[in-house]
Amino acid sequence: MNVSSSTPTPALSFAHLSKSYAVGFLARQRRAALTDLTFDVARGEVFGYLGANGSGKTTTIKTLMGLVFADSGEARVLGLPLADPAWKARVGYLPEQPYFYDYLTPREYLDYVGRLFGLSPSVRTERANALIEEVGLQDSRDVAVRRFSKGMAQRLGLAQALLNDPELVVLDEPMSGLDPIGRSLVRGVILRLKREGRTVFFSTHILPDAETLCDRVALLREGRLVKVGRLDEILERDDRNLLEVLVSGGDLAGIPEASRTGRMGERATLQVTEPELLATLEALKRGGSRVLSVQPIRQSLEDYFMKEMGKGGGGPA
Amino acid sequence: MSGLKRIVAVAANTFRETVRERVLYNLVFFAVLMTASSLLLGNLSIRQDEKIVKDLGLASMDIFGTFIALFIGVGLISKEIERRSLYPLLAKPLTRSEFLLGKFAGLCFTLFVNIGLMSIGLIVTLLATHHRADPALLKAIYPIFLGLILVVAVALFFSSVASSSLLATLWTIAVVVAGRFSDVIRNMRQVSEVPDWLVTALYWAVPNFRNFDVKNAVVYGDPVPVVALAWMTAYAIVYSAVLLGAARLAFGSRDLH
Repeated sequence: MNVSSSTPTPALSFAHLSKSYAVGFLARQRRAALTDLTFDVARGEVFGYLGANGSGKTTTIKTLMGLVFADSGEARVLGLPLADPAWKARVGYLPEQPYFYDYLTPREYLDYVGRLFGLSPSVRTERANALIEEVGLQDSRDVAVRRFSKGMAQRLGLAQALLNDPELVVLDEPMSGLDPIGRSLVRGVILRLKREGRTVFFSTHILPDAETLCDRVALLREGRLVKVGRLDEILERDDRNLLEVLVSGGDLAGIPEASRTGRMGERATLQVTEPELLATLEALKRGGSRVLSVQPIRQSLEDYFMKEMGKGGGGPA
Repeated sequence: MSGLKRIVAVAANTFRETVRERVLYNLVFFAVLMTASSLLLGNLSIRQDEKIVKDLGLASMDIFGTFIALFIGVGLISKEIERRSLYPLLAKPLTRSEFLLGKFAGLCFTLFVNIGLMSIGLIVTLLATHHRADPALLKAIYPIFLGLILVVAVALFFSSVASSSLLATLWTIAVVVAGRFSDVIRNMRQVSEVPDWLVTALYWAVPNFRNFDVKNAVVYGDPVPVVALAWMTAYAIVYSAVLLGAARLAFGSRDLH
């Protein structure tokens, strides 16, 4: 497949998308699931969609896939409006906790999916076999799905999402239910898709995975977009100059209380900003402490996530 | 054309599901019933014995078929929603209308195979008990099949609008039972508390499954005019089309949670 990354149209675009659900007795109240969602996903990028449980990640993806309907706003897939079915042949989708017909084997299920894409029998067989190998189900290709573990179903889900050789792959919690080997496999598939110039949009709450894979991320809290951008921009904005100093022994009286972040026996850790470093080192020298190391602190996505989630008083469960 | 191919793909998978889920096992009961009846009825007079075999055979086709149409039919959509198995499919180039039609056609095909095999079983039983394979039986079997298609359409409609399989089942049973005893509805006029307009509305709203019951006429050798069969066909097609249209409207705009 030849995927053009120079096309200016984004792979996905959301413009003021809002969605609410009816709740309560006789469905008289509505609860906002998404509010005024606006962002783009560029072609060829791996985009992480992050948020706590109930923050609206799955609702966003279901809206894209035509499973639920937005109240207002617009979303476009590969430049086409949602109502235009032409994009569906070019997109792959893995639902959250997928369930497949348990009376079918992976080979039969993939053949069925291939027929819905209008693929010829030979192409269906060829792609199904290749994908079954790629997701590691080769020993279970003729086993009914009812005998599958959650992780195996997830692997089959990934295979069916890739059967049509898609330009854009939308994965809802692809790492969920997978053991470390399965997660590594999914990471491998995502990286392969990226190398081939395809776009991957995936939701997750497993942040180290997002940190490893994503070019950009969006952070969602209670249905609203909190932040969207490149990981290095998001993570370095607040604490680019924060340093951790590891010291041993001596008197720390000359060091401000706020800088002392930990103590273990003789050793202590301090956190200081770059301008404070020189004064701190001098104070340590005066107190007779030995400086073991000085290193910059890079905030992890998880730290950032926890901090941002905390601002909203915690997302809904 | 590709839409038709997708409908056929969904139908084929629906048929495969019913076979794998052992729906056709009812044929074993049918076979046992036919064999037992042919063995036990040997002592009766020739005409009696033939009528009873035909009666039993046709009634079994109707009852087994109705059970399959009803209980598999109500799960066609609601079970797919509850289990979320249709999520990946609707993200493919498959419209909700195609999905509905495919499910409908698949179950109708299952019923066709089921009724076809039962018909063969009935003919074999008749031949085994030294009777002829009466072609007039087809005039009773065909309306039974039409009635079953209509049951599937009712079940599919409720499956598309109800929030759960249980509700869909209850509503479908209510309509099918009411439709089989539509005379009872008409007689409700005699109950003074029920307004006439309500009885009339109910009588016309509920599909009249008695229209398809010509079993007795066929067994007793009474004529069933072709015009009557044509009317039944038209009735089943129009009623099913209306129900499928309504199901499409409800399912087409439904949020799948």
